[in-house]
Parts: sequence; C-alpha cells; structure tokens
Amino acid sequence: MSVQETLLAIERSGLALSISKSSHLVVAGLQVIHVVGIILLLAALVLLSLRLLGLVFQQQNVTAVGKDAQRLMTLGLVLALVSGVLMFIASPRHYFYNSAFQLKMILFVLAIVVQLFLLRRAARNDFVSPVLARVSASLALILWFGVGLSGRVIGFI
Amino acid sequence: MSTLIQLAERIEQSQLGVSIAESQYAFAVIEGVHLIGLSVSVGLIFLTDLRLMGLLFRHVPVNDVLRHLRPYVLTGFALVFLSGGLLFLAEAVALVKSPAFPFKMLFMALAGANALYFELRLAKQQAVVDNKSALPRNVRYAGAASLALWTLVVICGRLIPYLPNWS
Repeated sequence: MSVQETLLAIERSGLALSISKSSHLVVAGLQVIHVVGIILLLAALVLLSLRLLGLVFQQQNVTAVGKDAQRLMTLGLVLALVSGVLMFIASPRHYFYNSAFQLKMILFVLAIVVQLFLLRRAARNDFVSPVLARVSASLALILWFGVGLSGRVIGFI
Repeated sequence: MSTLIQLAERIEQSQLGVSIAESQYAFAVIEGVHLIGLSVSVGLIFLTDLRLMGLLFRHVPVNDVLRHLRPYVLTGFALVFLSGGLLFLAEAVALVKSPAFPFKMLFMALAGANALYFELRLAKQQAVVDNKSALPRNVRYAGAASLALWTLVVICGRLIPYLPNWS
C-alpha cells in the first residue's frame, strides 16, 4: 500500500468520516482542546526548566517540582495528542504534505527523545549536574516551543 | 455597529495593518509569537491557579509562586499584547464582526479584575503573607475563577475563525 493509498484509507475510515462530515464546530472544539493541551505542556515545561536553571523555587527540591510539572506536561500531551490525531485522520492528505506539519512532527519526535532521555533524568535527581540541567532544559525548551511554533504555521502554508 | 466597522476598516487600511496582512510570513510569525507569549503568561497563571486551589505544587509556598513567576508572566503578557495588537491591526474588520472576539475581551477584563482584587486584597491576608499551608477559602475561589476565566479567553480566541459573524 503506497503512502497515498494509506492516507486515503485513513480518510475514508469510519472515525475519520464521522469527524469530517460533522459540523465544523467539532473540528473547532478539537482545535480548542489541542491549544489548551499545548499551553499546559509548555507552561509546565517553562516552570521545570526555570527550576533546573535555578531561577525559581530555589528552596524546593528539583524532584518535588519535577514530579508535579511532569504530571502536568503529561496531561497537556495527552490532550494535544488525542485531539491532534483526530484532526489528522479527518484530513490526512492536507496535513501529511504540509511542510510546517512535517517540521512539527520531526521536532515532536526529537522533543520526546529529549524528554525521555535528558529532561526526565535531570528532573529525577536532586543533585543534578548543572551541565545536564542546562543542556536538557534548553534543548527541551527549543524543541517543544518549536513544535508549538511550527504547528501554528500549518494553517498559513 | 456600522461606525465600528468603518473604524475597523480605517485601522486595517493603516500602513502597518496592510503590510502585515500582505506579507507572506509576518502574519504566521506573529500568530506564533502570540501562542508562545500565551503559553508563558496564561500558562504560568494556570499553574499559579492550580497552586492557589491546592491541587499542584503544594510544597511550594504561595508567596514564592507569586513572586518568582511574576517577571515571566509579565514578559509573556508583553509578547501577547504586542503580537495581539499587530494581529488586530491586520484583521480589524473580521475581528469586529466575530462574536468570539468581544467575548474574549470581556473574559480578559474579568480575569484582569479578578487578578487585581487578588493582588490588592486577598494576597494581603495574614495567612498568605505568612505562607501558612492552610489558605483562606477565598484564595481558592480566586484561583478557580482565574482558571475558568483564562480558559474562556483561550477558547474564545481559538474560536474566532470558526464562529459565524454577527448577522
């Protein structure tokens, strides 16, 4: 099955049709959930990064701040991911060939890798080395904000 | 209403408004800055609200949360208002005609009033100043009100391109 055929099959699936054939307010609702999820994710990331860089909550342990921040990041990610997947399957060809969407997906994969292998590791350690703290916070900020920015551009290409 | 639309037309025809609307990238980039500023300002306010409600970061004293996050919240707001102002210049007519936009402004005003009341009155209560772990109920209510109002601002903002115009 070629890429084109796969995208068409997704577009013609029952779930996809039930979204694309419904009122355009359903997609608007998905857009709202998507942006709320992204705001929660980015804000929790900003807080965790500020703590790792020693700019806020210096009296609190990194692990204590990290636990709640990562919980909120996960909640935001779930909201954004579920709404995002539903929007994608409703018009897969529109998104798949959009260069801003392609960039967003590359940055998203890299952000997840940095999250799992650097940021999570840094946030688990109260005596985290300043280098690991700085590198993981900066990379995560650049990549996750890149995801948000490129996502915002999708509609304008 | 028609005078409002005429005014919006004049704004849109301003040099800055026209150059943003006609540029291929400017509008998208400004939308991006709007989202980033929003995530930092409103996003950190969401976190503050969750702390006031006692749902997250319970080990961090409320005073620290308010004081430490304030410069970042204000920086985020500077980005949001600057980019939002530019977006308004570029599409004033569509915004004036959209029912979502005035509601967004209304909820923003209410959220601002709530924040002001919190700063001037509620945050000055002894229990908050002394960083007591048990906070007065009105602090929790103010946090919940802020969370609800800013969520409505975000919802209305995202709905601007989707809702039909005022008839």
